[in-house]
Amino acid sequence: MALRIWASSTANALRLSTATTPYFSPLSRCFSSVLDGLKYANSHEWVKHEGSVATIGITDHAQDHLGEVVFVDLPDTGGSVTKATGFGAVESVKATSDVNSPISGEIVEVNTKLSETPGLINSSPYEDGWMIKVKPSNPSELESLMGAKEYTKFCEEEDAAH
Amino acid sequence: MTSSFNYSTHLIPPRPITTQSTQRPTSQRPTASHHTTTEPNSSLQQTNKRRCKCYDMYKQVVPFAEAWSWQKSIVEERKLLVDGNEDGLDSLIVVQHQPVYTLGTASSEKNLNFDIKDSPLPLYQTERGGEVTYHGPGQLVLYPILNLRFQKMDLHWYMRALEEVVIRVLFSAFSLKASRVEGLTGVWVGDKKLAAIGIRVSKWLTYHGLALNVSTDLSPFSQIIPCGIKDRGVGSIKDLLRGSNRPSSTSGYHDEDDGKLIDIAHESLLKEFCEVFQLELCHQSISILRSPDR
Repeated sequence: MALRIWASSTANALRLSTATTPYFSPLSRCFSSVLDGLKYANSHEWVKHEGSVATIGITDHAQDHLGEVVFVDLPDTGGSVTKATGFGAVESVKATSDVNSPISGEIVEVNTKLSETPGLINSSPYEDGWMIKVKPSNPSELESLMGAKEYTKFCEEEDAAH
Repeated sequence: MTSSFNYSTHLIPPRPITTQSTQRPTSQRPTASHHTTTEPNSSLQQTNKRRCKCYDMYKQVVPFAEAWSWQKSIVEERKLLVDGNEDGLDSLIVVQHQPVYTLGTASSEKNLNFDIKDSPLPLYQTERGGEVTYHGPGQLVLYPILNLRFQKMDLHWYMRALEEVVIRVLFSAFSLKASRVEGLTGVWVGDKKLAAIGIRVSKWLTYHGLALNVSTDLSPFSQIIPCGIKDRGVGSIKDLLRGSNRPSSTSGYHDEDDGKLIDIAHESLLKEFCEVFQLELCHQSISILRSPDR
């Protein structure tokens, strides 16, 4: 796990130098990390289900494509999320993008560090850059999400088509 | 000056999506235009370009709130289709606005030279990216609602493409040499920003867009730090063509000249928009947006 995170940070650091290239940079797309043990939505969010709580964030692939995140819009604790519906947003390069929840449930915690340090999403998308924690209302929704291998293939196909 | 722009022509999207024609009644009923459909239609066979509905109000000064609500409603309808693995056509709304300040998601009050509760103009906190900006008459505002799955699923590319549209307009219609500034989204002539850009993306559907100063009265920009950039200014096509030293009030400049500039800019914007995004515009009646069943 630690090795993967290190690889992700290093890859991020390398990719930052190519992020200024406005057009196609094929090599960077191969290095996004995908972690085993998480589930993934096709809108590039991840879910980590541990006991009664699921943690949600956006993937390394997503943060890489966004570039430097300058602002994160998060909901309040106590609200609810619905599968495949937006719960927040991330802003980069004058473009603000919806973040969708992979599952439905009640928000039990929100990562308040992101308001001061939105860049955590870039530097640590699977750890310190987590966005919300949810109590799943329908745990079977997790089964329809992708696993690590499937998500990796999904990213490759999506990138290849563009 | 503008090096060849690497925009994608229409690759097959990664997942099969069938387009369907709009449910709204319209005098021209756009048949679904998708490169995998087999529906015969003689006018479509003449072009490879996807169709884009155009709500063109370029001579009208429209309240910001109204245009904002049109965009949101078009996007919501389209998101429902996209969730069902279908889609409608792209849209483009072209307007001028009544004087207004708008803020983006991360906008800081520090970029306002007034108390936010005491704004000299109507002020809207929107869901687009970017900092505070001013919209007003003499400025052409374009709101493309595009599905980036049919373009390139890359926000950076999309911003550069919007800039490209304006750069081409300024050069081909006005012989003005404009450029990008790395790290500062927008279109610049020298150190003056002529066009501001700020967008929102939801399920790869874009909205908000760009604003080009044609003959805008720039004085409201002095009440803000436009787009949060302190040491650069804002310009307009009119000022650049006439020399910005002469204040417009003493120049004997006629309003009809402003009108001509707007006409020229508008025509060029639509042309370059179609070129950059490889779209074919289908002009729609504005009454569709204003009808009560929306």
